[in-house]
Amino acid sequence: MSALPSGLPEHVADDEELSRFLTQSNQFSSIGPKAAALLPNPKHRNASVFRGEDIPSLRQTFEAARTDGRQAKAVALFRTVAVRGIGLDVIAEEPPMAHANIVNWPWFEADPEMQKARQLELAGRLAGDSRLVRC
Amino acid sequence: MVAGMVALSPLARGGSAVSREAIASQTAIASAVRATESSRVLFGEKAKAIAALREMAFECACEGWDGNAACGIGPMALAHAIDFLRALPESFPLPECAPEPDGSVSFEWAFARHRRFMVSIGERPRLAHAWVDGTDRGHAVARFDGFNIPDRILQGLASLLIHERTAVRTA
Repeated sequence: MSALPSGLPEHVADDEELSRFLTQSNQFSSIGPKAAALLPNPKHRNASVFRGEDIPSLRQTFEAARTDGRQAKAVALFRTVAVRGIGLDVIAEEPPMAHANIVNWPWFEADPEMQKARQLELAGRLAGDSRLVRC
Repeated sequence: MVAGMVALSPLARGGSAVSREAIASQTAIASAVRATESSRVLFGEKAKAIAALREMAFECACEGWDGNAACGIGPMALAHAIDFLRALPESFPLPECAPEPDGSVSFEWAFARHRRFMVSIGERPRLAHAWVDGTDRGHAVARFDGFNIPDRILQGLASLLIHERTAVRTA
């Protein structure tokens, strides 16, 4: 199996922990990450995550890629198996180091609201399987 | 008085008025709505929720607020979200707001990790919504006229609330 620049295997294993950095305090509550915090970006059609749970190191990588100076406020942590369990997938994409994308989100060009409704349901399920770590 | 202001609020943000009288009328309505909402005594927790929503929209107005090219929250999405809060019946708890990467506003009622109801409000008057209640889940779209929360959203939220209140009583 080929290795990526980070040394991680190209295939993201089911038991790998994934970290999604949250930059806005409204993206989480006392219960954990909100569903909206896990929705895909409409331009890239995926949700960006980092592989692993070494938060200080991953946070440094995440913030180095930003130009606006904003810092991560929290991290949503969940396992790859939780993503695959709802019909989505995780694909490695470096750089930056240890970066991956949650892909296969539903897209219905003809009905953007129905598309969002389906995405919200999936994000809500994933949020339920996530835990929150404040930075 | 408050109910009257709620009914007037979608008119307060103006729109297609062109005559001097119509513009003056809209300005007066907008002032009255703002004055009413600024009074905690009259508008209570909704005023706080609307203020929090405006603050979030301000923080997320620029593209890339999430570090990953998210769209900024636009004025129409914010206006629709405020209308939604104003129209929410007092018997329902207020939701928490969250920014979405496409510039929409999300409202979420989270009772537990696996029990939550989400509504997405964007620039168009159609509300995407979804719910998760243990293994029961679903999603749908409903039209919002700016004044009345769609029945199917109230019904879906009510069923989660009944479950929640029953669980609290049992405990």
